[in-house]
Amino acid sequence: MFDRELWLEIAHTVTGNPLRTALTGLSVGLGVFILVVMQGLGFGLQNGVKSTFGDQASNAIWVDTDRTSLPYRGQAVNTSIWATNQDFSRLNEEVTMAPESSIKLWFWGTLIKVGSKEGNYQLYGVSPDYVSLNGIPMVGGRFLSEADCDGFEKVCVVGGGVVKQLFGEGMVVGRYIEVRGVSFRVIGRFDSPSGRWANNAVYIPAPTAQRLFHGAVDAGRMDWVDQMVFSTGDLATDEATVMANDVDHDLRTRLGVHPDDQRGLSVRDNNEDAAMFERIFLGIRIFIWGIGGLTLFAGAIGVANIMGIVVKERTVEFGVRKALGATPGSIIKLIVVEAVALTLVSGSCGLIAGVALLEYGAPMMQHEFFSDPSVNLKVTLVAFAVLVFAGALSGFFPALRAVRIRPVEALRSE
Amino acid sequence: MGSGVLQVLKGLDLDIAQGEMVAIMGSSGSGKSTLLNVIGLLDGFDEGSYHLGGDDMDGLSEKQAARYRSQYLGFVFQSFNLIAFKDALENVSLPLFYQGVPRKDRQKRSSEMLGRMGMEDRKHHLPNELSGGQKQRVAIARALIAHPHVVLADEPTGALDSTTSNEVMEVLREVNADGITVVIVTHENDIAAQCDRIIRLHDGRIIEESALSSEGKKAVDV
Repeated sequence: MFDRELWLEIAHTVTGNPLRTALTGLSVGLGVFILVVMQGLGFGLQNGVKSTFGDQASNAIWVDTDRTSLPYRGQAVNTSIWATNQDFSRLNEEVTMAPESSIKLWFWGTLIKVGSKEGNYQLYGVSPDYVSLNGIPMVGGRFLSEADCDGFEKVCVVGGGVVKQLFGEGMVVGRYIEVRGVSFRVIGRFDSPSGRWANNAVYIPAPTAQRLFHGAVDAGRMDWVDQMVFSTGDLATDEATVMANDVDHDLRTRLGVHPDDQRGLSVRDNNEDAAMFERIFLGIRIFIWGIGGLTLFAGAIGVANIMGIVVKERTVEFGVRKALGATPGSIIKLIVVEAVALTLVSGSCGLIAGVALLEYGAPMMQHEFFSDPSVNLKVTLVAFAVLVFAGALSGFFPALRAVRIRPVEALRSE
Repeated sequence: MGSGVLQVLKGLDLDIAQGEMVAIMGSSGSGKSTLLNVIGLLDGFDEGSYHLGGDDMDGLSEKQAARYRSQYLGFVFQSFNLIAFKDALENVSLPLFYQGVPRKDRQKRSSEMLGRMGMEDRKHHLPNELSGGQKQRVAIARALIAHPHVVLADEPTGALDSTTSNEVMEVLREVNADGITVVIVTHENDIAAQCDRIIRLHDGRIIEESALSSEGKKAVDV
């Protein structure tokens, strides 16, 4: 229950000793401030590193082929390696059994026209699952479907950059673009927060791209793919690693790529990357909490020290209070509540100052590996509550010592 | 009575009646302050018995002792023992705080009590803004504010000049005239001579008790 008299008495005590109050408050406030800021910086670092992932699913295996860097089984260095639709189907059905998968073909700097407007953009031929595997943020219409692929439809999904430059603003779904002289109907639009590069792109069904742009050049290239991606679903990291190794072994054997040739064939397991980053983040978190915890501990020790000094300083006063009728409980309550109030008020100041610094300083701290520093308020409040409890304890023990002194000894201690 | 191997008070047998004004005298180390502290429940005793208002004070817990101090006793110290960061009014009202008296009541009664002590215009002054005599008046006001049955004064004039000492004694005699028992520890004959009874201690024992008639009391010019 709120005891107004007690609080008035405490208010009187703390304002009557401004230097002591300021010193106690500083040690606690600084502890909470440092904890909040450290946590914010840690989150900023974590967010920055995470953003380098883009929106890609972290549970996927990405397979790329290129020119060989090592000779192997009669293939010279710089031989172009191509995986095919058959490889993709075999890997899907016999090796990965992936819940989601996609092939990808890319055509750099493709000329795309809308009426008199034109520009060069990235053109990708992909499977329907690519929308989730690469985290493409759709903002209108729909992404490519199985029917689009099966029917070799001339439909496309366009990025915000393409829309802005070729259409201006307004609805684009249902309108047409010309890709390498072939007309495609726009069925969807996406806008990626990753930036201009990602939005200056157009997605069309992979089979359509193969037929129109590979097959037209060379019928033998009709089923070539540039990249394959397989979701690992709910597999644990070590199981996903086994899957990635199986894919790697299968393709190297079939395509004749040296086991050490990472250029000819690369199998990138996002699970491992994610796990590695998770380990780094864990390290960062432990570091932050280590430093923050030690700072808080130092703050609590500071409060304990100051409360110890305060109680010693006030021994005569407590003797006088006892002579005037104060019970041991009232003395303990006075000291403990004073310690808690000091911790609470100064800790709140530290918390507010820390959050304000992160809030208003964050825009000035943006960097490739650092973004959006924020605090976990729940965790911070728990840490704060622990500190207040420590403050209560740091008041309680000196208070207990004070009430154990007989009034006559307390009065004599002057 | 005693503490550990050092026995301070020995074979004491002392009755103080309600409304008496008693002086306890003796040389340094005679045990006079210890006796006052035992009477005031600021110190304990190992042997014997002590009754306050008919209640046995033996084996009281600190909480029980606090209740007796709050209801029965008022203290005046040689060094005043005012709380430095509280003004005169707040110092005086402190015993009422421990009795749970509401703030408005406390302030009203404390203000009246300071007025009785001629300190009305100094009630918002901190102790370091008051003279020795004024501090002791505040201390007496604080001792009286909770209507104690007994006021215990340990060398109340020890830190004061003779004029101020006489003023303080005048106040204590007025307090006593209201029926409150006053016990004063002093080594000054002039002060003791203003009391009803003088008890002399030596080496923890009462060596002399002398009652003074009203004619025998020393007249004091204030």
